[in-house]
Amino acid sequence: MDRSKQNKYSSNEKNDNGDGGSVLNGHFDGMVKRAAGGPQAPGAESAPHRSTSAVMESWKEERTRSLEDNEMSLPSLAAAYTTILRGLGENPQRQGLLKTPWRAATAMQFFTKGYQEKIIDVLNDAIFDEDHDEMVIVKDIDMFSMCEHHLVPIFGRVHIGYLPNKRVLGLSKLARIVEIYSRRLQVQERLTKQIAVAITEALQPTGVGVVIEATHMCMVMRGVQKMNSKTVTSTMLGNFREDPKTRDEFLRLIKS
Amino acid sequence: MDNSHSYKMSTVHRHHETSRKESEDESRLPALEAAYTDILRHLGEDTDREGLLRTPLRAAKAIQFLTKGYHETIDDILNNAIFDEDHDEMVIVKDIDMFSLCEHHMVPFFGKVHIGYIPNKKVVGLSKLARIVEIFSRRLQVQERLTKQIATGISEALQPKGVAVVIEAAHMCMVMRGVQKMNSRTVTSAMLGVYLEDPKTREEFLYLSRRT
Repeated sequence: MDRSKQNKYSSNEKNDNGDGGSVLNGHFDGMVKRAAGGPQAPGAESAPHRSTSAVMESWKEERTRSLEDNEMSLPSLAAAYTTILRGLGENPQRQGLLKTPWRAATAMQFFTKGYQEKIIDVLNDAIFDEDHDEMVIVKDIDMFSMCEHHLVPIFGRVHIGYLPNKRVLGLSKLARIVEIYSRRLQVQERLTKQIAVAITEALQPTGVGVVIEATHMCMVMRGVQKMNSKTVTSTMLGNFREDPKTRDEFLRLIKS
Repeated sequence: MDNSHSYKMSTVHRHHETSRKESEDESRLPALEAAYTDILRHLGEDTDREGLLRTPLRAAKAIQFLTKGYHETIDDILNNAIFDEDHDEMVIVKDIDMFSLCEHHMVPFFGKVHIGYIPNKKVVGLSKLARIVEIFSRRLQVQERLTKQIATGISEALQPKGVAVVIEAAHMCMVMRGVQKMNSRTVTSAMLGVYLEDPKTREEFLYLSRRT
C-alpha cells in the first residue's frame, strides 16, 4: 500500500510517542476557534457548510484502502494464511482447512474495514440544525476491534455523550463513527480519542465525552490470562473536561 | 499405578495434530513472522509505524501459544495423576474457561466446559480434566469435534463408567463478522457410557452443572 496514504494518526504516532495526545488536543482547540468564524482552510473545496470543509480538510487522507485493493490483496493474504497454517503444524489440505486461508483473509479484511471508510462519507447528510443544548448520550454501543500488537480481538462497549452547539448528529452516525475507528488495528487509548475528535470536528459541540470499556483477548486468552479483567479508557473534551458537573452527569447517566 | 491400558492414538489424536514439536516452535517463528508482515501490508497498514514494528513477532508467538495443544498428548499430562479410589459416584468439574480458534476463520471462540464422569475405581486429579480441555481447545477446532475429543480422551484414559462433556461458547466469527449476532451461544454435548444409556444419570449431570 502506498505509504503516503497512511492513516493520519499513524503519522502522528511518530511525532509523539504513539500517544497522539498533545497534537490532537491542540487540533481540537484550533477547531473550536475556527467554528467561531476563522478562515477557510486553504485548498478545501467550497462546501455549503463551513464545518464540512473543515471535516474534509482534516480527514481527506483518511481512506487507505478501496474495494479493488481488497480484491487484489486477497490471494496474497490467503497465501500468508496458508503459510501460517503450515507453520503451526497443521495440514492445510484437510477438509476443514481447505478454504480456511480465504475465509481467514476475508475475515481479517472485514475486521479492518475501517480503513476503507471516511468520516465524511458516513456523516454527510446527518448533521441537523436543532436548537438543543442539553446532553445527548448514546450508550452501550457494542464495539469490536483488533489489538495492533497481537492481532487478537478486543471487544466491549462504547458510551458517547456530547453537548450540541445548535447542531445535532443523527444518532446512528455516532455508532458508525465507532465502527470506522474500531474496525482497524487499534490501541484502546487511540480509539477513544479518535472517536471523540471525529465528533468534535464534525459538529463543533460544546463538549464531547467518550468512555470505552473493553475486554482484550490478548490478556484473556494468552499472556497473563486474566479472565475477568476489563480496560476502561475515556476522553473528555470541551465542557466535559472543564466542568466537573457536566462530566459527572455524563458518567452517572452511562452507568447502568 | 496401572499404565497398561492400551491407548488408541488414532481415535483421539489424529497424526497431524501431534506433528508439532515444541522445540521446533522457535525455528518456525521467522516464517510465521514473514507471513504476518505480509498480512499487515496487504491490509493497507504501514508496517513501519511504531505500534506495528514488532507486531509480526508478537502475533506469531501469540498464535503459536493459541495452538499449543498440538504439542501435547493426554499421556504427557496424565501420567501420574490417576489414582485408585473406591468411588463410583459422579464427579463434576464445571465452568472451565475454554479458549479456542475456529478452524474456518481462524478467529477465537470461547466459553465454558462442564465435565462429569463416573469413576470405575480410578479417579483422575481434578486439574487434569482442565488440562485435557486445554490440550484439545488450544488448536484450530470445530466445537463439535472439541467436545467429542475431550470426552473420548477422558474415556480412553480412565475407562470410567461414563463421561459427559457440555460446552457453551460464543463464536467471534458469528459475533464480530458475518451474521453479527452479539448474544448467540453455541452449546454442544458428548455423552458416553452410562450418561448415554441412562437418562436419569444424564439429568443429574445437567442439573448439577447448570448455570447458578
